[in-house]
Amino acid sequence: MYKLILIPILFFLTACSDRLVRVMPYEKEYLAQDKMKLSPVDARAEQEGHIFLIREASAGGESAFQGGCGCR
Amino acid sequence: MQIKNLFMFFVSLVLLELTSIASDVKDTMSFGADTYSDNANVQVYSPTFSIFKKLSNQWMVGLKMRIDAITAASISNGSNGNHVDAVTGASSNSKLFDDTRYAPTLLATYDDGDNLLSFGAYYSKEVDYDGKSLFVNYVRQLNEQNTALGIGVSQSFDKWSPIFKRNLPRDNRNEGKIDLSINQLISPILSVQAVYSHMTSQGFLSSPYHFVLQDKFAKFENYPDTRTGDAVALKGVSLLSTRNSINLSYRYYKDDWGISSHTINGEILHDVSRNFTTGLRLRYYTQTKADFVKQVGAYAVTDKYFAVDYRTSAFDSYTIGIPFIYNMRGSSKLTASVDYYQTSNNAHIKDWYGVSSIQAVFTTLTYSFDY
Repeated sequence: MYKLILIPILFFLTACSDRLVRVMPYEKEYLAQDKMKLSPVDARAEQEGHIFLIREASAGGESAFQGGCGCR
Repeated sequence: MQIKNLFMFFVSLVLLELTSIASDVKDTMSFGADTYSDNANVQVYSPTFSIFKKLSNQWMVGLKMRIDAITAASISNGSNGNHVDAVTGASSNSKLFDDTRYAPTLLATYDDGDNLLSFGAYYSKEVDYDGKSLFVNYVRQLNEQNTALGIGVSQSFDKWSPIFKRNLPRDNRNEGKIDLSINQLISPILSVQAVYSHMTSQGFLSSPYHFVLQDKFAKFENYPDTRTGDAVALKGVSLLSTRNSINLSYRYYKDDWGISSHTINGEILHDVSRNFTTGLRLRYYTQTKADFVKQVGAYAVTDKYFAVDYRTSAFDSYTIGIPFIYNMRGSSKLTASVDYYQTSNNAHIKDWYGVSSIQAVFTTLTYSFDY
């Protein structure tokens, strides 16, 4: 578990992105499309984030904010 | 003359710099309608509204509003209609339990293209629960926007107010969350994200209405006062062809109640036309039980903790859904989604809700535009 936690921290510390291929602005045509977004439908991401919090015991792993409610 | 030219040269440089850091913030508005319905007698109809107003090239303020009209609220949590509450005397089928939740969020953002700061406040009001939260997020773009490092912090200060007279051992529920994220473009057709979340909860963490009912005693649920959890998620989206993409994610969660879970989500999206995109998503979730939960009917009156909520037990769930994205003329966009959710068969679900598994359908419909 703690090794998994260290992965994103190591990303921060090592600035590993410098060693990766750099995508230039003129190459981002596809990345700008709806189908290339991590959350292509924002409203669904927001609603299901709330539903899964209510129906399941797990949380986290997304960088979006979710407020509390009495359903949990 | 030379001094004047030099001055004008520097002024033009400054103006150029100001123009270059001007971000793409826009005045936007959206209207939506979400629904949720399940076989445990819970239906929720949720109109949503958001408006974002640009104050300058970098600053923007916004308001998001969500109203949940709930036909079976947290008081019954959808409990079996034949399962009259022996402790409260309440039955879940009563109209008394219908609720409306109002949840506005006020936020402000600063975006200069390289730095994105957003912060705000959230408020949620139900008949028996008040939620108040503060949150702040900061994202730093690096390497010509190939890398984004993010940190988010939120803290809630919630309060229970059960609708029947019950003296809770404590009525607060405070939850804190820290998210660290990194987004990295790997190639012109592949981007990945890693997120680590650390969550803490403190206060009254069970429902005030759930209870254990056995032959010789009835006890309200009682959970530990604190809970600490960690989650790590890895996500990636890649172009398969000019009209198709695949989106995959995995999350591992573990907390000090002994619950751990794995979540796998996959989605394929297809451009049907230049303006219309649809696809298919599948999600699988599995969790282990909390250390303190026992099988239905296995509690002793001397036990310290009592849990009847199926969310503290081991179960799996499956989700299948279809998204729709339609880009209209100008900046207008219409999005919709339909998803079916089902848990595995579970004795705690059967005992409380009277059904073998939770089966639900949830939908979204949103129209957004620049103004």
